[in-house]
This record gives sequence, C-alpha cells and structure tokens, in this order.
Amino acid sequence: MIAALVVFGYAVLVAWLLPAVLTPLTESGSGARLGIAVWLTGMTSVLVSAGVAVALLIRSAVTGWSRFAEALCRSVAGTSCTPVVYRSALYELGLAAAALIATVAGLMLTWRYGRRVQQARRSTRAHAEAARITGRPDTSAMGVVVLDTTQPAAYCVPGRPGTIVVTSGALAVLAPRQLGAVLAHERAHLSGRHHLLTGLTRCLAAVFPPVPMFRQGSSEVSRLAEMSADDAAARRAGRRPLIEALLAIGTGAAIAGEPGVGERGAREPGVGEPGAGEPGLALAVAGYAVAARVHRLLDPPRRARRVRLALVLTSVLAVLPVVSGLVFALAAAA
Amino acid sequence: MRGFGELEAVVMHRVWEHDSPVTVRELFDELRRERAIAYTTVMSTMDNLHRKGWLDRVKEGKAYRYAATASREEYSARLMREALVGGGDTEAVLNHFVAQMEGDESEVLRAVVERLAREPEELR
Repeated sequence: MIAALVVFGYAVLVAWLLPAVLTPLTESGSGARLGIAVWLTGMTSVLVSAGVAVALLIRSAVTGWSRFAEALCRSVAGTSCTPVVYRSALYELGLAAAALIATVAGLMLTWRYGRRVQQARRSTRAHAEAARITGRPDTSAMGVVVLDTTQPAAYCVPGRPGTIVVTSGALAVLAPRQLGAVLAHERAHLSGRHHLLTGLTRCLAAVFPPVPMFRQGSSEVSRLAEMSADDAAARRAGRRPLIEALLAIGTGAAIAGEPGVGERGAREPGVGEPGAGEPGLALAVAGYAVAARVHRLLDPPRRARRVRLALVLTSVLAVLPVVSGLVFALAAAA
Repeated sequence: MRGFGELEAVVMHRVWEHDSPVTVRELFDELRRERAIAYTTVMSTMDNLHRKGWLDRVKEGKAYRYAATASREEYSARLMREALVGGGDTEAVLNHFVAQMEGDESEVLRAVVERLAREPEELR
C-alpha cells in the first residue's frame, strides 16, 4: 500500500513539476528533436509511473487477501473477533476496493485513449481522401493537392501516401523558392512521421485534461515538431525563402516583391510602421507561435547556449528513466 | 487502392464540369476517349461516390442520373474549415505550415517583414 502511494506520489510530482523545469529548456527551440525526445520521455514517465502504482496496489490487495480471509475466518469462529482483527479485515477490504477502482479507471482511460486515436486516424484519412477528390486533378500526382480557396494555407495530411495540401491563396503569395521551402517543411513532417508524435500526444492531452505534463507536453511537442521541420526546410531550401514563406502565409501578402506562382497576381506586401525597435520586437515575438519561429530563424541562439541546452536536455533524458526505475525498485522492495 | 482513389477524383471533376446530372454512359463515353477504361469500372466508381455522399442520383428509365451533392468550391471551403478550425472530438491530425494566428500576431510579423527589408544581405 505504501509502495503504491509512493510511486503514485512520484507520478504526480513528475506530472506537475517537471513541465515547469522543461519549459524554459525547450522554449528557444534549440535542438528541437532533442526537446521532443525529452518531453516524450517525461510524458512516458508519468504514464509508466501511474501504471506501476496501480500494479503495486493490485499486488498488495492480492497478497493481503489471504490475511483478510484469515481475519474473516477468525471473527466467524467467534471469540477472537477483537477490534484489531476487525480493523485489519476492513483495511484489506478497502484496499481491494481501491485496487479495483484504480484498475477500472486505468482501463477506462486506456480504452478512451485508444478510441480517440482511432477517431483521429479515421478523420485524418477522410480528410486526405476529400482533399484528393476536391483538389485540382493535375497536381495530385506529385503528392501535392491544390485547393481552390483564397485563404493562404498549407498543411500535410499523413497516410499512405502522405498528402500535402496547398491552397491557391497560398500559391498567389509565394514565389517559387518560397513554395519550395513550404514543401520541404511539409515533407519533413511526413518523412519524420511527426503526425504520430503530435497525434498521440494530443489525444493524451484530450483524455487526461487536467494534467500539466500532458497538456503542456502535447503543445510543446507540436511546437517543436514545427521547428524541427523548419530546420529541415532551412537546410534544404535556405533560411531566407523559409522566413519569407512564413511571413507571406502568416500575413497573407507576398514578401520581397517576387511574383506569386499562382494565377492570381501577387498582392502588395503589407508594410507596417517603419522603425519598430528590435529589442521590443524580440519580446513581442516570443508570445506567438509563428512569430517565434521566424524570430528563431532570424536570430538563432549562440553556439555556446545551444551546446549548454543540448547538454542539459541530454542529462534530463538520461537521468529521468534512471530516477523512475530507482523509485519503482525501492518502492517495490519496501 | 491509390489508382482507384485517383479515378474517384477524375470522375468527380467530370461531374463538376457538367451543369446537369450525368449518366454513367455519358461519363464513360467521355473518359474512354482519353484512357483505357471499362464501363463497369466507371459504374462502380460512381456507385462508391454515391455511397460516400459525394454524388446524388435519380432513377431515369433504367439508368441513374448522377449529380454532385455540393460544388467543388463548397467542398474546398468545408475542407479549409475542417483544417483550420478543427473538428472537435474527431480532430484529424494535420501539420500546418503556419498555425492559426493569435490576436495581433500579423502586426508583429509585419514588423519582422520591415526588418527583413532593411537587412537584405543578412541571410544567405
């Protein structure tokens, strides 16, 4: 019983405190893939710990059952039904009930999670099919589907084969090299199988809503997956075309005066007030997903900081499973 | 399966190009001119599309006349809505190039555009 409580306490501790430790480490998006690995390890630790806690609870309920039977026997026998025996029987009964409830709750959550993942996969497949049927037929051969919509957007739908959807509104504001960067970004998502990461963690956050580790973990994994795809696209198509593409689709206006590749002519770039201060800009950018990605590409962290972050993340990655294992072993032995 | 999905797209585009409902025979005659295809393939494809809700059909004599349940524009708009807003409980897993903008994020982005214009040589 104590063992189960200790491990459960550890799971709660990791679920509530670790996100606060990890968030500043992965905020800059330096070492995006390492960051994803660390968040996934944290989420897995919570799940495994909770599972181990339930297993320990079942174990103590099962081993305690003989004591319960013995106590029951003695109390029926009459004379020996002292308060001690009586209380012990009640305790064992309570333990069995707790183990049963924990098991049922665990199974229900697992089942709901599985169903949710299934539903997400079904709607993803349906979306891909609908996009392939609705898109312009001449483009679908290259795994790219063009949707005739004025709203600039680009995304990928996983599946076999994966589909990249680009709207005609996006084509209108993207120069050829910028479109190349967009496609490189989406192909990185598909070849990196990012949908598994984002899909599975998002379902986790949906099934266990109040747990910070799952909620923050799922949004961080999505954010870092974007940054990881950005890194791949920047390597492949160049940093500048990628930044321009982000700005073009983000603001809905062509960047750098290059003509759009679509048939709708490029619009004038939306020009803001001149002379916005740089330090203020960096701060303002930090609060926004897209702006943060642009900022990260414009001003990548210094090498020393990158190395430091990578070292810290790697140690978390190595230490967390060891600590969890120690906690399980000690609790099980106790 | 991929080839079959492609055929569904081809058939839907043909149907959308027609202003009035079409029969399998009419569509088959059109498709036959550009590819080797069997009448029964066209028929089963259209039957599939009907079953999946893409096509409506009305009996006329001993054949059916098929029409799209919604225009291509309507389907495009529906897909965009699904992609950008999300379907709540059964959300499809899509990876966007640019996520939904929050608040005045596009203002911040415009400031970055400004900076980019002033430092054209900064990036390769």
